[in-house]
Amino acid sequence: MSAGFRRRQRINTFMFFLTGVFTFIALSTLFFILGYIAYHGISSLSWDFVTKLPKPVGETGGGIANAIVGSLKIVGLASLIGIPVGVLGAVYLAEFGGNRIGFLIRYAADVINGVPSIVIGIFAYALVVLPMKQFSALSGGVALSIIMIPLVIRTTEEFLRLVPGSIREAALALGLPQWKVILRVVLPTAARGILTGAILSVSRIAGETAPLLFTAFGNRYWDDGLLHPIAALPLTIFTYAISPYDDWHKQAWAAALILILIVLIGNILARLLMKQPSPQSH
Amino acid sequence: MYNNQNTSLALALAALFLMAPFFSAGAETTLNGAGATFPYPIYSKWFDEYNKIHPDIKINYQSIGSGGGIKQFTAKTVDFGATDGPMSDKEIFAVDGKPVHIPTVLGAVVPTFNVPGVANLVFDGNILAGIFLGTIKSWDDPAIKGLNPEAALPPSPITVVHRADGSGTTYCFTDYLSAVSPEWKKTVGTGKAVNWPVGLGGKGNEGVAGLVKQTSGAIGYVELIYAKSNNLAYGAVKNRAGKAVLASVEAVSAAAASAKIPADFRVSIVNASGDTSYPISTFTWLLVYEKNSGKTGAVLKEFLVWMLEDGQKLAPNLGYAPLPANVNDMVKARIQSIK
Repeated sequence: MSAGFRRRQRINTFMFFLTGVFTFIALSTLFFILGYIAYHGISSLSWDFVTKLPKPVGETGGGIANAIVGSLKIVGLASLIGIPVGVLGAVYLAEFGGNRIGFLIRYAADVINGVPSIVIGIFAYALVVLPMKQFSALSGGVALSIIMIPLVIRTTEEFLRLVPGSIREAALALGLPQWKVILRVVLPTAARGILTGAILSVSRIAGETAPLLFTAFGNRYWDDGLLHPIAALPLTIFTYAISPYDDWHKQAWAAALILILIVLIGNILARLLMKQPSPQSH
Repeated sequence: MYNNQNTSLALALAALFLMAPFFSAGAETTLNGAGATFPYPIYSKWFDEYNKIHPDIKINYQSIGSGGGIKQFTAKTVDFGATDGPMSDKEIFAVDGKPVHIPTVLGAVVPTFNVPGVANLVFDGNILAGIFLGTIKSWDDPAIKGLNPEAALPPSPITVVHRADGSGTTYCFTDYLSAVSPEWKKTVGTGKAVNWPVGLGGKGNEGVAGLVKQTSGAIGYVELIYAKSNNLAYGAVKNRAGKAVLASVEAVSAAAASAKIPADFRVSIVNASGDTSYPISTFTWLLVYEKNSGKTGAVLKEFLVWMLEDGQKLAPNLGYAPLPANVNDMVKARIQSIK
């Protein structure tokens, strides 16, 4: 064997080894984060913690029930605004957006995607909080939906584009109007991808703290309706983590664990739903 | 149809879930306030206790810092604000309506340090000003040694830690330094955020406490409770009478006792006279509007009366000094005109 071949072989082995190491690093980071949070958080988890309201500052005990419900409410509200707007926007881009306007929309979505979330929080503060003179769940939902829309638009568009043109043409050839082709053929075919994109965007916004600081604002009690300040898990984690109290530090870890569990369970549930054999009845 | 029913069911559920609170909202009153972090422990205790006595009244307080509190109070996004440094005339002018300062309790800012092998130190105004101006650079500086002949001070450099955000704690500390050091007053001055000549910035009392804890040779300033709950060493400070006093509820009360209180309660009690006075003490204030909409004014007034009576008794347990009797009477008279 020539020396050159052996050298290439050595480099090959070395690079193969490197890819393995870096894959391990990437994966172990995930498990390290999960494990670290579980390690610190699990000792403070209890039934009271998820069903009770917070105790006054400095007193041990109390729960974060209002923050859990608050987070679900804000994220639900953001999804109600963000997913329909995002999906419909993506339908326009994928089906009719091959022009200059389509380019501009795509460009704008990418720009919004790159805007720091705190800036979006300030925007929602100026847009909703200042005119209403009230911090509210609504303003928090609006802030998060603004983060969500570009994410949903871009992923949905990608998946709509993956639907083969031949399927569209076949449907059109059968005499279906275009709106029916989109509604009954294109969207269902891409449903799995669209849902994946929606889940990703929900997971992304569920952990956002910055946009909520001056919109949802936080609340130590149960909130009424959508027009009052509301508690949210990321806000609770932020407040508790920078407090001087050991008990709050522990609760912050536990709250982080719950936030991760909620996102994880939502993720798994949605994937199970998608795995169900689709009834091809039509 | 692929998954259509699932989707619409989920949407319907989500809609119901979001609407539900509209139906359940009763005759409750929620007041929202924001501001200073320093009195947060006592405020949340008060609001919690008050909610137990009046279950229909919820007072939600978010500790976003004194600067943020004044800002939101000015923007009228909250029902009341809170600050550790009084609003300036300019800030008051910016408010549409008449803001009222309501002193609630008093507290102390302590110089906290991390010097290996040293647990107790005595400072005076000149030393603190020198350290924070950057002219005193080493722990074994003759000035520090002179006040602390017994301490085993190492020849290591001093790392200054200060607040990076707008803060009532900074206001109180710089107010004190301006009172005792003409050079400080001339070059840096008093404010919620100032141009620090030297040092690292930490966010919030917690950030400063954390930096001091991690950095050998560091000195910072925090509210008393943050030094205590983080097990940080903090020094005694020589007061106007020349006595070294360690911060405590009694020493803060003593500082307040000698103060002349103006009608609008915007008063500084740093460098107070009296043998037992702690020199870096301050009132902390709630900011309320003279005229409020709807029931807000009446509810606030009722709470403030309770705060001045029963609420004050909860303060010492949490490390705050209650209002002196004469101030308490003045406040009681002042809040009568709040509508």
